[in-house]
Amino acid sequence: MTEEFTVPFPLEYGSYEDALKLVGVKGDPIHAEFTVNWEMIKVYCAMEEDPNPSYWDEEYATKQWGGIVAPPGLLLTWGMALQWHPDKNRQHYFVAMKIPLPGDTLINVATSTEFHRHLFLGDRLYAVDCLVQVSEEKRTRLGVGHFLTTRAEFTNQNSELIAVTTNDMFRYYVPEEKTPEENS
Amino acid sequence: MTEQTTKQIAYKYWDEISEGEVLPRVEMAVPFEKVILDAAATQDYFPGHHNPAYAQHQGQKNIYLNTMAIEGFIDRVATDWAGPHTFIRKRAMNMRASIYAGDTMVGEGKVEKHYAQDERALVDISIMISTGSGPCVPAQLTLELPRK
Repeated sequence: MTEEFTVPFPLEYGSYEDALKLVGVKGDPIHAEFTVNWEMIKVYCAMEEDPNPSYWDEEYATKQWGGIVAPPGLLLTWGMALQWHPDKNRQHYFVAMKIPLPGDTLINVATSTEFHRHLFLGDRLYAVDCLVQVSEEKRTRLGVGHFLTTRAEFTNQNSELIAVTTNDMFRYYVPEEKTPEENS
Repeated sequence: MTEQTTKQIAYKYWDEISEGEVLPRVEMAVPFEKVILDAAATQDYFPGHHNPAYAQHQGQKNIYLNTMAIEGFIDRVATDWAGPHTFIRKRAMNMRASIYAGDTMVGEGKVEKHYAQDERALVDISIMISTGSGPCVPAQLTLELPRK
């Protein structure tokens, strides 16, 4: 490595036993910072190069769905934390980022989502998530750590179920003897 | 815009689909700009998605696309084929290898099951997202489509 990153990603640190105590405990309810808005939908679809008129064409989307809808892949984005806020410390909203464990980094491994209805422009998303499982320490090609399984339920401002997600994340550290070249 | 004027958009109906049907291949280049746009578009500033030194600290060779970018590309492979009248009922995926800045990702898929359930006209498809390094993200989707 020829360059150092300067600010470690803020995570909670602790032992496997500390993490186990949080299994089954619901995280704080998440009230999305962002209402569902066309501008963010367009930026996301530009990134995906997705021409789906459900996201771009008001006339088509109204006829098909009743209005412009949010791409399913933006589900998590509405509830992401801002980088700075005048009244709040920067913090993660989703529980997977707040589990005390030894690893200094993480990577998402698998995700499964069932969708029940669309999100429309102006909708506000709410989420409640929960740590379902923490694995014992595992060694993978990336490093040493624990797999976290979380489950989140997403509803709109009318308490209608939008989606249910189950997610597996690997919280780990890279052992000193391992180099990036060994991983490539 | 109407179905008549969106000539480049496909509209597939449930009745027209057969098990074993192969979806058209979708390819998209992933330059650095795309990975940074991903972080901004999804409000996901985890440093592995914008800081190459951090990504290397993680054991990765470069910055890489996040979950939401891959989800959106998988969904696009499905809806480019089936059309914008598709409702994605379920999507499951495993991120076995990262998609890095500099890669080109390719999505390929196949119809696995064609069935009706609770009056819903459904299709299960499998999709594989690959790069020049090989298969990266296998996914399984359940799509709800209109009948003709």
